[in-house]
Amino acid sequence: MNAHDEDRMKKLLQQALPPVDADTEPDRDLWPAVLRKMKSEPIAPPLFSCAWFDWALLAALVAFVAFLPQSIPVLLYYL
Amino acid sequence: MNTHPYLRAYLAGVFVPTLVLPIILLGFITVRLLLEAPFPIERFLVFPLALVPTLFGLWNMLFLWSSSRIHQPIGLHGAVLPILGAPIGALVASCLGLLHFGDHGVNYFQFVQIPYALLPVFILAAMVGYYLVWKYIVGSLNRVLGIA
Repeated sequence: MNAHDEDRMKKLLQQALPPVDADTEPDRDLWPAVLRKMKSEPIAPPLFSCAWFDWALLAALVAFVAFLPQSIPVLLYYL
Repeated sequence: MNTHPYLRAYLAGVFVPTLVLPIILLGFITVRLLLEAPFPIERFLVFPLALVPTLFGLWNMLFLWSSSRIHQPIGLHGAVLPILGAPIGALVASCLGLLHFGDHGVNYFQFVQIPYALLPVFILAAMVGYYLVWKYIVGSLNRVLGIA
């Protein structure tokens, strides 16, 4: 790339990118809006948030094992 | 974390059986050494040691592959595994002499008698256990490893 090409590239870039105004500050403070947005977004679900249905299933499984304790080795065999 | 998702899925699946195995081993060593029960621990451990972790890992890889297509919940995906694993486990147990089919039921490990009528209940219990394990443990691991 010679000096002529560089000048040409410079002109093309200047044409493509509009000049930046000196006053680029927003007309209001955006930080409170960011805070509001962060507060409004739901928090990620915890790893172990059980539904009532799952508690019922767990209770049924515990009851099954309690009524049939001989099932414990069989269930452990498959886990 | 975007590389090797299937390897991470396999490792997440293998986690639970690997964690449970020492507990099983401890329980049966206690039964064998302290209670002196004539129980074939070595043969018992073949299926949980060699096949169950592999099944879990492959099943989780299948979940990763299929979740982008059918969007099934991981709990239900895991609950289906006993339908596949129970016959394989029964076959292995039968070949190793741990399972005998009688006139009225099956005999596991020479001391657990299960009537045929109760077998569906056992499979249902296994499905419930697998559902909970897959939903809350494997699913959490998948999220931690960035594949869920």
